[in-house]
Amino acid sequence: MGMTAFILLLVFFILLILSVPISFSIGIATLVTMLMSMDLTPAVTTIAQRMAGGLDSFALLAIPFFVLSGLIMGKGGIAKRLIECAMALIGALPGGLALVNVVSCMLFGAISGSAVAATSAIGSFMLPEMKKKGYDPNFSAAVTAAAATTGMLIPPSNILIIYAIASGGVSIAALFMAGYLPGILVGISLMVVCMIYAKRKAYPTEDRLPLRLVAKKCLAAIPSLFLIFLVIGGIIGGIFTATEAGAIAVFYSMFLSMGVYREVKFSEFPSLLLKSAETTAIVLLLIAASTAMSWLLSFENIPQTFSDFLLALSDNPIIILLLINIVLIVVGAFLDMTPAVLIFTPIFLPVAMQLGMSPLQFGIMMVLNLSIGLCSPPVGAVLFVTCAIAKTKLENIIKPLIPLYFAMFVVLMLVTYVPWVSEAFPRWLGL
Amino acid sequence: MNSAIKYLDKTLAGALVLVMVCILLSVSWQVISRYLLKDPSSVTEELARFLLIWVGMLGAVYAYRTNSHLGLNLVLDKMSAKFKQLTLILIQLLVIVFSGLVLVFGGYELVDLTLELKQISAALSINMGVVYAVLPISGLLLIIYSLVNLWYLCSGEMIKTTSQESV
Repeated sequence: MGMTAFILLLVFFILLILSVPISFSIGIATLVTMLMSMDLTPAVTTIAQRMAGGLDSFALLAIPFFVLSGLIMGKGGIAKRLIECAMALIGALPGGLALVNVVSCMLFGAISGSAVAATSAIGSFMLPEMKKKGYDPNFSAAVTAAAATTGMLIPPSNILIIYAIASGGVSIAALFMAGYLPGILVGISLMVVCMIYAKRKAYPTEDRLPLRLVAKKCLAAIPSLFLIFLVIGGIIGGIFTATEAGAIAVFYSMFLSMGVYREVKFSEFPSLLLKSAETTAIVLLLIAASTAMSWLLSFENIPQTFSDFLLALSDNPIIILLLINIVLIVVGAFLDMTPAVLIFTPIFLPVAMQLGMSPLQFGIMMVLNLSIGLCSPPVGAVLFVTCAIAKTKLENIIKPLIPLYFAMFVVLMLVTYVPWVSEAFPRWLGL
Repeated sequence: MNSAIKYLDKTLAGALVLVMVCILLSVSWQVISRYLLKDPSSVTEELARFLLIWVGMLGAVYAYRTNSHLGLNLVLDKMSAKFKQLTLILIQLLVIVFSGLVLVFGGYELVDLTLELKQISAALSINMGVVYAVLPISGLLLIIYSLVNLWYLCSGEMIKTTSQESV
C-alpha cells in the first residue's frame, strides 16, 4: 500500500496547491495512481463507471431540493422574522444581541442548511445592529461566523446526507436526530461565551417587551419554523423519505415566500433552479470523483492498512480519537467540509469502528470538528463572508474567535468521548 | 466565436433548469401517487435518479464555466502575474486531459459496453448506455470551455478558476 497511497496523496496535494478544482484534483490523482498498475482503457472505464455509479442514488436527490428551498427561503424575508422572534425571547438577557445572533444563525442555518447563507442572511442584519449598540464589530463578526456553522449539525443538513452516502448507508433519519443535541450544545456553549464577554464589557441589553408583543413576534416566525416540523416530522414519522421531504420543503418555501410573504417573484424561479443545479453539481462532481477514489482505496486495501498503522501507534482509544480529531481540525482549516467528509470518511471511519465507535457518532464528531475548520483561517468560507459584511480584516477577528473555538472544542470532546450525546436521541425514537 | 459560446451557455443553462423541473415533478409525483392516488408509481424513483446523474455532470460543466468549483487559491493568489498565467494554463490543460481520457474516452467505452451487453434499467426499461451518455457529452463540453479559457488566457486576460465559497 505504501507506494500507492503515497503517490495518490502526493499528486492530490500538488494539484490542490496549484489550485486545480478539488474534484478534478481527486479525479486526476486517482487516474495517475491507477495507471501505475493498470492499462489505460480499463482504468478510465472503471473511473467513468464509478463516477456515474456514485451519483446513482435516491438519497442524493435530497441535496438539490434542500439547496433550492434554502435559496428560496434566503430571499423570502424569513431571516428578519426569525431575528425578531429571537429578539423578543432572549434580547433582555446579558449580551442580548449576541445571543439573538447565535439563536437566529442556528434557526436559519437549520432551515437553509448552509452556513454561508446563514452568515449573510443573519449577519447583514445583526452586525450593523450590534455595532449601533456599541458591540465590538470584530467580536460580532466572530460570533456570527461560529454560530453559522451550527446549522451543519441541526437538521435538515446537506452535509449529514453527504456523510450518510460516504459512510455507505448510515440512516439519514438517525443522523438528523443525532445532530440535534450536539448542534444545540454548540449553540449554548457559544452563548455562554457571549454572556461572559458582554458582562465583562458591560454591553447594553435590549428592553423587555410586553408579553403581548412577544407572542406576536413568535407567531410571525411560526410559518418559517413550521418547515422544520414538516420536514423532520415527516422523516421521523416514516411518512416520507429525506428526498421526498426535500421536494416538500421546496413547495412549502415557494408557498411561503411567493404566496404569503410575497418577497420572491415567480419569475425569479428559473434562476434559483439554475443556481441550485450549479451548487448541487459542485457537490455531485466531488462525490463522483471521491467514489472513484474510495474504490481505488479499498481495491488497494488502504483503509485497513492505515487503520492497522494507527492502532499500532497506540492501543489507547482516547489517544487515537484525539489524533483523528487533530488531523481533522488541520484538514478542516484548509479543505471545505464536503470534500473533507468525502475524502476522510472512508479512511477514518474503519479505525473509529474498530475502536467501538458507531458510524452515527463518528459522523457527528466529524461534522462538528470540520465546522470549526469552516470558521478558521486560512480557508474558511464563512469567515470571508462575515469579514466582508462586518467590513473588518481577517486578522482582527481571530482574537475574539479564540474563546469561541474553545467552546466548540469542549463540545467536540464531549461528542467524541460520550456516545450518549449523539446516540440518545435517535435511540429514544427507535431509529 | 463569442456568440457561439453565448448560445452554448444559454442552451446549457436552459437544459439544467429543464432537468431540475423534471426531477422536482418526478419526486412530487412519487409522493402524490402514493398518498393521494394510493397507487405508488414504479418509475419516478429511477427517473429522478437518472436525471440527477445528468444534472450532476452537466451542472459540473456549468460550474466550471462560472468558475465556481471548490479549490484552494492560497498559493495562486500569492504568485506573480506571469506565474499565475502559466499555472492557469496548466490547469486548463489538466482538465482537458482528464475530461478527454476519463469522461470522453472512458465514458464512451462505458456507453459502448452497456449498449453491447444490453444492460436494461429495472423500472424504465431503458438502456443504461443512454444514461451514461452524459459522461462523454459533459467531457466534450468541458474540453470546449477549457479551450475558451485557454483562448482568454493566451490573449492576456486573467480568469479565476475556483471559488472558496462553501456549498
